[in-house]
Amino acid sequence: MEETVDQAANSRTISLPISRVRLIMKSSPDVSCINQDALFLTTKATELFVQHLALSSYENGPSKDTNTLSYSDLADTVEETETFQFLTDILPKKILARDYLKTLEEMEKEDDNM
Amino acid sequence: MASSSGNDDDLTIPRAAINKMIKETLPNVRVANDARELVVNCCTEFIHLVSSEANEICNKSEKKTISPEHVINALESLGFGSYIAEVKDVLQECKTVALKRRKASSRLENLGIPEEELLRQQQELFAKARQQQAELAQQEWLQMQQAAQQAQLAAASASSTQQAGSSQDEDEEDDM
Repeated sequence: MEETVDQAANSRTISLPISRVRLIMKSSPDVSCINQDALFLTTKATELFVQHLALSSYENGPSKDTNTLSYSDLADTVEETETFQFLTDILPKKILARDYLKTLEEMEKEDDNM
Repeated sequence: MASSSGNDDDLTIPRAAINKMIKETLPNVRVANDARELVVNCCTEFIHLVSSEANEICNKSEKKTISPEHVINALESLGFGSYIAEVKDVLQECKTVALKRRKASSRLENLGIPEEELLRQQQELFAKARQQQAELAQQEWLQMQQAAQQAQLAAASASSTQQAGSSQDEDEEDDM
């Protein structure tokens, strides 16, 4: 069975390591047995997801003109796209440095007043 | 590729694989490191999402093993229906590849002939080969003998023709 798995990976139809995908699936609560073909499907779907996420974020992002893809491009796309909203939990909202400093300053002022 | 971390939740797709995919999808685009890290984590999250949904669908169908159908239905209900066509194609290709490999190995292994018969045929071939070798050796020996004999004869006639050589020349001259 392992040979078939390697063969599939080598045939250039699937780039992601199928064994790793299986491990991740099994670490989901309650998931017990996964059919081999179902594993192939999930792996391929994950690849398409990566491409989809990267492409969408790039196309919709302001950094397109400068040929870059930034963290905020991804974060914005996740917020704006319904199918990507399951990702909001793992996206710590990044605070702009100046906003953080401002918050710090305000906190210090409060301390001074106390 | 053994995971050194004991915690299952730390499992992610290897960074290198993700980097490669991003490079292929967005060639010539500079991608920030924290963006890459995010994509890696999003992958894991996606896999969990699909597995959980497929698992639920599986449980409802009272089957014990998550089947391709369950995964496809999960993708549909999660809003990733656009992936289904391509994903199905790949599955078909994987099956074809696997089938070809199995056919190829069984063709070699069997040819539909039982093992004892194959063994017998092998013995036959060996015997034949030995015989041919022996015949060849014999022929060579014979040829060597003949060559030796001819050499002897040639040497003998050379000396006798030398003696008769002068009279022959006179006759030839008259005829010309």
